[in-house]
Amino acid sequence: MSETASPADSGETPVLDIRNLTKRYGSFTALNDLTLSLNAGQILGLIGPNGAGKTTTIKILVGLSRPTSGTATIGGVDCVADARQVKRLVGYMPDKFGSYDNMRVSEYLDFFGAAFGMPAAERASRIEEVMGMTNTEYMKDRFVESLSHGMQQRVGLARTLLHDPKVLILDEPVNGLDPQSRIEMRDLLIELAAQGKTLVVTSHILPELARICQQVAIVTNGTLRAFGTVEEIGSQVSQQRTIEAHILKANHVTPAAKVIRKSIEPDAEVLEAHGEKTVRFRTALSEAHLAQILRRLVKVGVHVSQFREVQTDLEEAFMSFTNSPPPVIDDESIAGEEEATAGATTDV
Amino acid sequence: MFSALLRRELVTPLRRRRMIAFQIAIAALFTLLIAARWPTGGQVAVMGERSQQIFRLFTYGLMATMLLLLPVFPASSIVSEKISGTLGLLLNTPLGSVRIFIAKLLASLSLAGMILAMSLPAAGACYSMGGLSLYEEIGKVYLLLGLVALLYTAVGLLISSYSQSVDSSIRITYGFVLVTGILAMGPHYFFQGTVGSLAKYGEMLRCISPLAALATLTGAEDIGGQGLMTTTDVMGRFTVWALACSLVASIWTTRRLNHKIFDRSRAAGTMSDDLSKSGQLIRRLFFLVDPQKRSKQIPSFLNPVMVKEFRSRKFGRLHWLMRLVAVCAMLSLGLTYATTAGTFDWGVETIGGIMVVMQVALIVLIAPSLSAILLSTERERRAWQLLQTTPMSIPRIIIGKLFSAILPLILLLGATMPGYLVMAYIEPGMSLQVQRVLICLLLTAIFAMSCSAAVGVFFSRSAPAIACAYSVLLSICCLPLLVWMGRDAPFGHDVVESALSFSSIAAAFSVIRMPGFDHYDLIPANWWFLGVGSVFSLLVLTGWTYKISRPQ
Repeated sequence: MSETASPADSGETPVLDIRNLTKRYGSFTALNDLTLSLNAGQILGLIGPNGAGKTTTIKILVGLSRPTSGTATIGGVDCVADARQVKRLVGYMPDKFGSYDNMRVSEYLDFFGAAFGMPAAERASRIEEVMGMTNTEYMKDRFVESLSHGMQQRVGLARTLLHDPKVLILDEPVNGLDPQSRIEMRDLLIELAAQGKTLVVTSHILPELARICQQVAIVTNGTLRAFGTVEEIGSQVSQQRTIEAHILKANHVTPAAKVIRKSIEPDAEVLEAHGEKTVRFRTALSEAHLAQILRRLVKVGVHVSQFREVQTDLEEAFMSFTNSPPPVIDDESIAGEEEATAGATTDV
Repeated sequence: MFSALLRRELVTPLRRRRMIAFQIAIAALFTLLIAARWPTGGQVAVMGERSQQIFRLFTYGLMATMLLLLPVFPASSIVSEKISGTLGLLLNTPLGSVRIFIAKLLASLSLAGMILAMSLPAAGACYSMGGLSLYEEIGKVYLLLGLVALLYTAVGLLISSYSQSVDSSIRITYGFVLVTGILAMGPHYFFQGTVGSLAKYGEMLRCISPLAALATLTGAEDIGGQGLMTTTDVMGRFTVWALACSLVASIWTTRRLNHKIFDRSRAAGTMSDDLSKSGQLIRRLFFLVDPQKRSKQIPSFLNPVMVKEFRSRKFGRLHWLMRLVAVCAMLSLGLTYATTAGTFDWGVETIGGIMVVMQVALIVLIAPSLSAILLSTERERRAWQLLQTTPMSIPRIIIGKLFSAILPLILLLGATMPGYLVMAYIEPGMSLQVQRVLICLLLTAIFAMSCSAAVGVFFSRSAPAIACAYSVLLSICCLPLLVWMGRDAPFGHDVVESALSFSSIAAAFSVIRMPGFDHYDLIPANWWFLGVGSVFSLLVLTGWTYKISRPQ
């Protein structure tokens, strides 16, 4: 395991506690020694590329899958041994809605309330309450299969909240929502966390996650690559920084990119934006090396107006962890390359 | 581009393992049929009697295959594309509605052609035994089978273009097959030999049944023919009907294949509760149980899955059930009254026979569409994992689902009770028979439900689940009747009786002393079969449900 995520330092008992969770399908390892925990009232953003192991983790937590080894507990209840009890503690909203024909929204919610064993009187008031929370009252007489995707997402969340679970596991909750609904959903999730609920949210819209999540876990190839706040994640990827050079003249962009390519790691990505007159690249080189690159650009006649580090956001951190690790480059090789490229850049 | 469409429609389904297994099974079935009756001695009858007997059985088997298996392909063709969204993509290509329709029609016909091609070696074996004319018998039978394929493919595509779900499309298509194939022969059976317009219309109606046409071609007695022969050109009339019907259905479907097929506004969610008092009263008078009235909460003492199943079915809603029950009750009482009043000169046995046929037809038509999709729809709609995340236990889910299927069937059977009571009142000696018939029907309903549910649980999509359940159920109910048609020759009394013991419809006929079935003693063998079959099916259903619900 590359990363171990511990609960916050507050000393609270974590609501969600995953320890050394491994899931293998034959020779394929879907989840490898995952350990993380989460306190009450926190929102965890679980991100990773397709096939990273997010859904496997979620399925184990909601009792739809068994781990090969390791444990997962919710509110102190083992997700495998006490799967039935865990169902009352968890509200799960999958990425697909799960509709029934000819059923109205109120009937749909009533059915799931009854399936959770809620008494009829309590159920009626709870349905009204969750419909109010999710702003779905006006849909109560509509047929579920005739709802738009965004509407279904909100009804899905209402269904998830029905039995008042401690932990909410939401798979792509903002997917397909219009901007207004997305903001409403975001506010609702923050409100739920403020009420003491613990949320695990997956999403491909990373800026959304960055806005609401206290904790972020990046999973790739079944392994937890990073865990912490967005800022902590940013610092974890600091060895891979994004540097942006603003060039004054558009025709200097390509020569500048050429100089930069020869000065940094061979596999590093260098993006030329002629419209914006910028060259952006990712590198693990030290400040001294960056200063050398700038000096070389100036030396070959490129007019650089700005040369700065771009603040790492969640998307970049995600990209950093999902791409292959950068090669280790020592100072001597850079010095050698510098001499070799000096002649090549004099034609600017 | 057209060939690409045809390839997708035909070749893609043929690559599936199930389809390969199906083809092998068909070829093996026909081979076995011929091998079982192939002369073992060195002599063959000069008149080719044996060859004709085998050919008769073989053609009925082939016809049953076409009627049971073929309709599912056109019935699911357009509607499944509509649901998955690929029909919209197809309509956006320059192909045009005519070519799309022709590709779908040809794909289904090619499949039928493949089934027929696989039967050719068996037909050749019959021919080589002698006594059969290549054109008059073999050629005409294959022509008839081709017409059957054309008719039910064209109608299946039309029904598919109107349907909103795959299961409703398949159910309606099988309903059409049942009505035109079997029930259309009913009036002729009851009015043959009489004079008047009813006999004339019965005779005409019979001609739309491919089974009647096949009977005349193979020289077999009609099912329930009562030994009377007619001079009507049934094959000729069927040809005209099949071609005309196919042409109309084809033009109709082609005209429907445009953007308007998607032109359906989303249901606004109008509720009667929000109407004026007078509006509510009118709806109440019309519906008795208003489907647009806000439903009450699921009571705590009821199984929520059962209520959910009722509510999520179009025909599960109470107003539909009440309509169906009312029609059944009126029909059974009407028939009994007509006989009592002397309108028809039918015996009580005949009336009982009609009621049995109607009820078994309803059970066979409704049970698979209710039971086969109990789990497959949940899995198809991704609702199964939601159910799994609730604290409901698997037995409770299964019980809820089974009750939702059996209750409408029992309600339908109960609706005809007044008719049977009147029958027992007219002929007190028949009360024991009536009791036995009711037991037969009840067991049939339980078996049909459990068998369909057990077959359907193996599928994760509703269309193949329903198709397979229909095929299995119709095979169990109707294939023994093929053996019955070969009674006396080539099959003896004992063989026919053993075969009929599997068919609940035959058992009910024998109990009610229906002509042709009164020589067979099928009770309690049939009850044992239905009972053991039901228990076995329920075990399969429960075991497999546990298997698919187990955490991976």
